[in-house]
Amino acid sequence: MSDEPTRRDLLGTVARGSVLAALAGGAGFLVNKAHGQIVWQVDAARCINSRLGETGVPACNLCTTECVVPLSAVRAVNDYSHCGRCNICPAYFNITSPVGEHGYPSRKLCPRDAILRKPIGKMDPEDPANNFYEYVIDEEKCDGCGKCVMQCKEPLGLGSITLRVRYDKCVNCNRCSISKACPQKAVIQLPAGQAV
Amino acid sequence: MKDGKGGLRGRRRQGACPTALLVGLLLCLSAGSVWGQALEYRRPVETAPQPDNIGGGYKTPAVQKPLPRAYWLQVTDVVLLAAAMGVAVWLVLARRSRRWLVGLSMASLAYFGFYREGCICPIGSIQNVTVALVDPKYSIPIVVTATFFLPLCVALFFGRAFCGGVCALGAIQELVVIRPVQVPRRLDRVLGWLKYVYLGLAVFYALKPALARDFVICRFDPFVGLFRRAGAPHMIIAGGVLLAAGMFVGRPYCRWLCPYGGLLAWCTRLARRGVTITPDKELDCGLCREACPYGAIEQMRAVRRDCLYCARCYDACPRHRTLVQIT
Repeated sequence: MSDEPTRRDLLGTVARGSVLAALAGGAGFLVNKAHGQIVWQVDAARCINSRLGETGVPACNLCTTECVVPLSAVRAVNDYSHCGRCNICPAYFNITSPVGEHGYPSRKLCPRDAILRKPIGKMDPEDPANNFYEYVIDEEKCDGCGKCVMQCKEPLGLGSITLRVRYDKCVNCNRCSISKACPQKAVIQLPAGQAV
Repeated sequence: MKDGKGGLRGRRRQGACPTALLVGLLLCLSAGSVWGQALEYRRPVETAPQPDNIGGGYKTPAVQKPLPRAYWLQVTDVVLLAAAMGVAVWLVLARRSRRWLVGLSMASLAYFGFYREGCICPIGSIQNVTVALVDPKYSIPIVVTATFFLPLCVALFFGRAFCGGVCALGAIQELVVIRPVQVPRRLDRVLGWLKYVYLGLAVFYALKPALARDFVICRFDPFVGLFRRAGAPHMIIAGGVLLAAGMFVGRPYCRWLCPYGGLLAWCTRLARRGVTITPDKELDCGLCREACPYGAIEQMRAVRRDCLYCARCYDACPRHRTLVQIT
């Protein structure tokens, strides 16, 4: 138990030093090629629910069923600047349901009742059909099943509702399980700066 | 602008008319069966009305656009990881205090496990680091690099402080160790090789071409489902089974499956300091050996590569207790 370094101590120091150097080298290499954060996002032009041309087909709900996050990190988002504020919104009402009392379809489309409808702007009390309506999606209820997205796109709607990855919910898996399942390869990885 | 508004409103009226007409027509045609018919839907507008068209002081609401986790918060994760390892080293090697170490690992479980939901962790980062080292098109953020390398550097000097103080997967298993039995040494050794097989498989699948790439460590993480309170049912069941087994066999995932534990064990072989059992001429009771649920004390010596920094040996040591009472 002397303070003199033994052969064993010396060997240990050399081995430790070389492993440390290797680790530092690896880390340095990775830092050198590092970039900012990468996030997953739905490419609306590829997603079958939002891309043009696919109408009359059932909505794809893989974003709901495949995501590891409760209810899914993918939610329907309404871009209000493109929303038609229609009186009878095909994404809000189930327009194939029988017509009800006030001339509106009798059933709503959203299975989780996550869309809220309220009249906005200058009101016309005589004719409700002449008013504008705002459709707000309750993101806490939405599970990204895509039904409203499919109905909102042209020719029925203006395509203001799309499926988006909510970055506050997404846990940024190494390999997004939705991207794995998506037959359209619509869930893509892109730098956080470019993400919409 | 006024014209535009009028035009749009007019078009909307037209759009509403067929609806009313249709309903009226249906009413006339078949008095009884109207409610069975669906609407013949036509889009009432061609462009989205803007605030000027809508009127009434309407403002277009902002689209909900939550941003990714802020960079400073990601850096905070790394700082907390480093700080927790520092505290673990100090608590185990200097204070020899199990009670505070349990407190630290529970705090880590709450933060890295349940709050951060198990991501990012050094165990999974093995795959990202592997891919980033090999694939020229793939790179990882600096925080991931730090998360992977920091615990290895600490292990190189002080042993597996990460396992005992920081790792959420370790902490949740540490919670359930109630009646640990000593696993026969030979069996322990053989099972210990599994983690290197798993490490090899993880690297193998991570190195596949980009489209066939698979991150098996994350996919088969047994505890992340519990942290997120969601996930593949079979993995949640696997996590439950491991926790149930963990009541009698201390930390089975850490000892036999964790690929990062394998890397830490290699680094720990070279550690400058680690948990030590000081030889005692008067008292050779072996209480520490019995107290260690991980088989990391062999012939009254600590096997540092297997030591998971739980400090049970110090806690069980009568000498240590006496010392604490005196000072």
